[in-house]
Amino acid sequence: MIQLVKVSKVFPNGVEALTDVNLHIGRDEFVFIVGHSGAGKTTLMKLLYRDEFPTSGDVIIDKIKLSELKNYQIPYLRRNMGVIFQDFKLLPRRTVYENVAFALQVTGAQRSLIRRQVSLALELVGLQKRMNSFPADLSGGEQQRVCIARAIVNNPPLLLADEPTGNLDPSTSWEIVNLLDKISKRNTTVIVSTHNKAVVDSMRKRVVALEGGRIVSDQQLGVYDNAK
Amino acid sequence: MLSNIRFFVREAWTGLRRSGVMSLIAIGTVMVSLVVFGVFLIVIVNIGSIVGTVSSSIEIAAYIDSNITRAQAASINDELARIRGVSKVKYISREDAWDKFKLEYGKKLNLDEMFDINPLPDTFIVEVSLPELVPEVANSISAVKAVSDVRYSGKLLEQLQAFVSVVRIGGVVLVGLLGTATLFIIMNTIRLTVIARETDISIMKLVGATDSFIKWPFIIEGVIIGLIGSIVVFFMLKLSYDMAVYQILEAMPFLPIVTDPKKLGLIYLIVGAVGTFLGMLGGYISVSKLLKEIEG
Repeated sequence: MIQLVKVSKVFPNGVEALTDVNLHIGRDEFVFIVGHSGAGKTTLMKLLYRDEFPTSGDVIIDKIKLSELKNYQIPYLRRNMGVIFQDFKLLPRRTVYENVAFALQVTGAQRSLIRRQVSLALELVGLQKRMNSFPADLSGGEQQRVCIARAIVNNPPLLLADEPTGNLDPSTSWEIVNLLDKISKRNTTVIVSTHNKAVVDSMRKRVVALEGGRIVSDQQLGVYDNAK
Repeated sequence: MLSNIRFFVREAWTGLRRSGVMSLIAIGTVMVSLVVFGVFLIVIVNIGSIVGTVSSSIEIAAYIDSNITRAQAASINDELARIRGVSKVKYISREDAWDKFKLEYGKKLNLDEMFDINPLPDTFIVEVSLPELVPEVANSISAVKAVSDVRYSGKLLEQLQAFVSVVRIGGVVLVGLLGTATLFIIMNTIRLTVIARETDISIMKLVGATDSFIKWPFIIEGVIIGLIGSIVVFFMLKLSYDMAVYQILEAMPFLPIVTDPKKLGLIYLIVGAVGTFLGMLGGYISVSKLLKEIEG
């Protein structure tokens, strides 16, 4: 489903974020991308949702080379993936319901469909009772669950989570990762970038380790320490 | 599509309410610019009307030196009336002119002692349909055989026409400058509300909103700002102009200021359309610029 072929990314200030990265991720896989801050995890994620261009190499999703996409085609690429962020990126002046509905509204979906889908997504993340709350009234874990609901509300085949537990305490982090695992079992490819050792070790999933912008290990049923 | 439109309008309205003070400032700015623009248009139209009235009252006098019979006078009259641009010809015989002159000045001056004979010539007073045609018509009149001299207040007419063309050119330049200034002010104000929602926009992009989908609420927001400003300015202009007309006509009833509701309606409509269009354009340019910046 996802292929990175000899991908390198050098930023205009000369920083080499990724160097010669080759990676293949199959359909419905659950993959952890691990590494220290600055290892290139976020850049890798941004390349996948085409927020960044590779300096060289190809990023291919479902046989589509992202570098060949025209600007106007990017929105349609993003409708086929959900993205989860460390800082949640929720709209502060919209309710939980509105935040989740937003991702469907921008696709021009009918109101009845929006209502049905949002309700299903909120049920999955366990926030149906908080749908009229504003983000500021929620805990960090709840905010991340809203972000997840927004990412999956249109049933995308691919879910990207960039440091989803970065701002959360250990038990909440655990809940969130379990939720992501649950989602991956519904025919969704899930890629999680993290440096949360406890979470990675407990899940026993595929672990791809980055260091200084290079893949240093790639293990099925891996753990954080082995990966390093 | 319908649900999209509903979404855009709701988003625009929410945006306006949420950036409350900023929206009020934007509306205020539109109003100030439109008031200046509207007052300027009204002044220009009125100057045009006054100058037009003065110009159209300019008459050409054609003098005949030799004595002519009534029949000759009638044929000259016909000949003058046939000239292109002539709307009316009036014949004043030298006797009539002399009688009128004596009636006006006879008491002050002993005219019979001063003149043995009537010194005045036969005169044709020619009115012209368009003020611009006066010099041309005057030329054609002097080409008529019996006419010995042609007079009209040429200097005044030329000055008036020069004034009108200066006002017209200056008006176009000024309106252009004013329009550009208004556009920039609206653009910058809407830009502030757009920047205030930069996060919203970047999230919209991340969840797969197309650029045009992102732009519409801001365009509609600009239209609403322009429209509200225009409506308020319409009432301000209408009320104050009606009051001014009342005062002016009471003091100077002869002044040909514009009171035709159709003409005034057109002015208000132009002001409203300009305000709304500038609001729309301001919203569009601001959000397009920001989208480009986000894309890097």
